[in-house]
Formats: sequence, C-alpha cells, structure tokens
Amino acid sequence: MKRAAFPFLGFGVGLRRDHYLHILEKHPRVDWFEILSENFMVAGGRPLEVLDAVRARYPVVMHGVSMSLGSTDPLRRDYLRELKALARRCDPAWISDHLCWTGVGGRNLHDLLPLPYMPEVVRHVVARIREAQDFLERPLLIENVSSYMAFRDSSMTEWEFLTQIAERADCGILLDINNIFVSAFNHRFDARVYIDAIPRERVIQFHLAGHSDHGTYLLDTHDHPVRDEVWDLYAHAVRRFGAISTLIEWDDNIPEFDVLMETGEKARAIHSRVQTETDAVRSELD
Amino acid sequence: MPSDLNWTERLLYRLITAPSGVAEGLAQEKSLATGGLADVIAGDERLSAEERVDIYANMYFYRLLEVLKEDFPATLATLGDARFHNLITGYLIEYPPRHFSISDTGARLADFIANHPMREQFPHLADLARMERALIEVFHAADATPLDSEAMRAIPPLEWPALKLRRHPATMILELQWDVGTIFEALKRSEELRAPAEQPTHMLVWRHRSQVFYRAIDSSERDLLEVLARGCTFAELCGLIASTAKEDAAVEINARLEMWLRDRVLVAAPSSTPLF
Repeated sequence: MKRAAFPFLGFGVGLRRDHYLHILEKHPRVDWFEILSENFMVAGGRPLEVLDAVRARYPVVMHGVSMSLGSTDPLRRDYLRELKALARRCDPAWISDHLCWTGVGGRNLHDLLPLPYMPEVVRHVVARIREAQDFLERPLLIENVSSYMAFRDSSMTEWEFLTQIAERADCGILLDINNIFVSAFNHRFDARVYIDAIPRERVIQFHLAGHSDHGTYLLDTHDHPVRDEVWDLYAHAVRRFGAISTLIEWDDNIPEFDVLMETGEKARAIHSRVQTETDAVRSELD
Repeated sequence: MPSDLNWTERLLYRLITAPSGVAEGLAQEKSLATGGLADVIAGDERLSAEERVDIYANMYFYRLLEVLKEDFPATLATLGDARFHNLITGYLIEYPPRHFSISDTGARLADFIANHPMREQFPHLADLARMERALIEVFHAADATPLDSEAMRAIPPLEWPALKLRRHPATMILELQWDVGTIFEALKRSEELRAPAEQPTHMLVWRHRSQVFYRAIDSSERDLLEVLARGCTFAELCGLIASTAKEDAAVEINARLEMWLRDRVLVAAPSSTPLF
C-alpha cells in the first residue's frame, strides 16, 4: 500500500437520505461524499439513482459496517461480491470498514464490537483483511471503533493492535478522532499517546463526529456537534499526519445540510491554521 | 481461527441478545469459570464488566427497534409503542438478524405476526406488516426501463404480436385477507385508525420514478400479471385476455394495456434478445 496512491480529497460529509434532495438540487460545494456501503447494496431504485447522480459530480468513498473482519465466522462471499459490484458502479476513491466483529454463528448484532488485543487475534484479522483485499483487488482502510469494554486477555494497547494489523495486512487506516476520544475516556488512556503511536504513512482518512456523555461513559452516537476537545485532538492529529481527507459523520438528529458544511469548513480552517504554523516553524528552522 | 476468540464472541453474542437482559443471561451461563464475566471483561469502579456488556445489549435492541419502527409505521401506529416494543422483543428472539444489511431485519415480521397471539386482537396485523414490507422491497427492487404508451406507439404495429413482454422487476402481488389500504389512507390524513374490513384482496405494488404505489386488482388481472412475471408475447397476452373477456375482447385488451402502460408495470425486450 502506497499512501501516494490515495488522493487527498479535502473535507467531505456522509451522504444521508435526509439530504438527498438538497444535494441533487443545490449541488453544494462539498469536496466529497462518503456513503454507507450497505445502504446502496440493493438491486435498484432510489438509492442507486441518487448515488449515480452524486458520483457524477463528486468523488465518493465507500464505508462499510458489515465486513466483520474480527469475526470467527468465515468472511461472507455474498457480501464481498455485492461490495465489489457496488465499487464497480461508483468507482470509489477507496473502501473502508471497521476493526471489529459484528456477529458470530451466522447471526448479526449490527454493532461494532471490539476484539481482545492479542498476537493470535492480530494474525486472525490480518489473514482476513488480506483475503478481503485479494477479493476486492484493492487495499482496504480499517477504522478504529469506539468501545465500552476491554478484554482481560489483551496483551497490548489498542494502538499497538491497530498498527500491527495495518502493517502486516498492508492496509490503510481510517483514524476516527472522535472514537479515540470516546475510548480514551471509557478506558482511561491518553488520546494523544494513541495518535502519536500510529504510523504516519498508513493514515489515509479521518472521521469526525459527535458523541453523548452518559456520566460514567461516553457513547459514540453521531447525533451531536463535534466537541471542542475532539477539535483539539483533531488539530493534534493534523499536526502529526498532515493533509488527510477528513469526513464529518452525522447519523442521528441529522441537522440541515448547511450545519454539516459549516463543520467541514471548521475542519478545513483548522487544517489551514496548523499548516501555516508548521510552515512558520519550518521557515524559522531554515 | 483462534478457538478462544470464537468462545468469547459466542459468549458475548449470547449475553447481548439474552431476552431478559445481561444479568439473566449471565445467571444461565454455564461456560464461565468461578470468576464470572469479570474474568473475561475488565470492569472498574465506574462500570462493572456486566454494565459494560449491558451498554452493547441496549444498543442491540434499541437500534433494531428504531429500524423496525421506521420500516413499519402503520403496524406501530396500530399497536402503539408498548405493544410494538413487546412484539419486537419476541420477534428478535425468534428471527435474530442474519443478513449483513440492517434493512433486512423486518423481512420475517409478517410471518412472525401471523403466528403471534396479538392476531386475536388485531387479525389484520400480519397483512399490514406484509404490505409495509412489500413497499420496502419494491422500493429497492431492480431497475428496468418501463414500457409506456409513447414507447409502445414507437413500435411498428406489425411487430406488436411478436413483442416480448414481462412484468417490471419492481412489482409485487400480495394476497391479503384484509383491506389494509384503508389504514394507510387514514394515516396519510392523520385520522383515527379503525380496524379494516375483512375483504380478500389481490394487491399490486409497483414503483415508478422512485415512488411506490399500490392498488387492488381482480383475479383475472392477477392471473395475467403472473403470466407476465414469467414473460409472454403480446399475441399470447391478447389471447389470454380474450379467452376470459366478459364482453368485447378488443375493448378489454385495450383497457388492460392502457392501465399497465400508465402504471408502467411492463417491460419490453428488444426482439433480438431471447427473454424466455
């Protein structure tokens, strides 16, 4: 996997049904859209019609929730076939899914569950990512999930687990800044240590989203504005990784499209500010 | 495949989907050592291991409940929140999601309702759920260019007899016992819902320009549309209509064709393409 093979797309938003009409009629000035792959893995009708129209004007990235890379069930060939067919249709800049398991025994929890961070699980997941990449004939991006439980058997940190898997499977990383913040609170680790440990050349995309505070834990709900602390963490990540395609996720209590645009513009402004700071430091050193 | 990982995933699956919650699931769990769940999941003073799994259990149920509320608004409006909640609790135990798409979750809800005690109080409920599911399936069914009157006129009349026709893939025919269409109409007008009349109905559901429509059809139209689902030539179709026509066959052929072309439920295959 070569980072140069993945273009910098700028600042995008998730394509959601609530905004279809607005996007098709107004053609808002968004750099790119991310689709939830499973919403478009249908035979026909409105979703695919909208996707074709959006793709004609914007770059698109496919983001899945059902590959279940950490499951002990075999990878579903019917899923991969449909995913590949969708990729042929919309020619995405890349395809991503999560570092998690979503079901076992042929049953689906429709949730993103964490894994024990252990060498044998690393080997298991790496083999499956390689299998998926071979089938799809393209590198995958894997995303860190928010989690609410950790395993006694874990023998490494989450960032070591993610790094080892990405390097051995030779895949990219979709780094969800909000998920790091949520999990850092839930498991009491330092989010900046996490970010600083992730290899620069593997990170292709960032996710930004809101979460809800339940007192004893944070829940990744994608139904609030991005919190200030997450913006600070984002700035830290931009300092480390540079120009990374950034996506605003909002899945519940979805606001007007303009709110998503403004959030994307805020990310762009932070990126520009960090870039200016970095350039200033460089010129002083020169 | 790491065997310990398989054991852990199966344990968590059982606990997350336990019908009466994680605590009840744990009480019945025989695979855990004396340390219990805390041997597997790390808890702390903020949240115990059980409370942490409970977060996932709640998300599992409520995520699927929300999807089903959105997919079955008329069923929900008929039952009210509490009864719908209980119905879905039972449904997810009997039909846990297996498909990779969450939108498939409600695929068997009508079958479940058909055997559920609630049918005593709401005998039309299974038909209502069947109809709501059909609206979703037709919405997502395969695309094909429909035959409309303009396209039909563009075909030279001499080619009509051999013209190959079939039903559009985004169509479905339901066999219903109750006139559940009245419930949809009442919901649209925000009127109070009344139990529909018992009235066996063949319901045609179809899609045009991303909108899903439905209308009751008689049994002769149903039979013709079933033949069209398999495919036939225009001449064969005319023969079938004429064989059952009550009055002037030509008038009936014209009327049927006009309606199907208006609704856009037919597809024509180019004469060079073998269709069947």
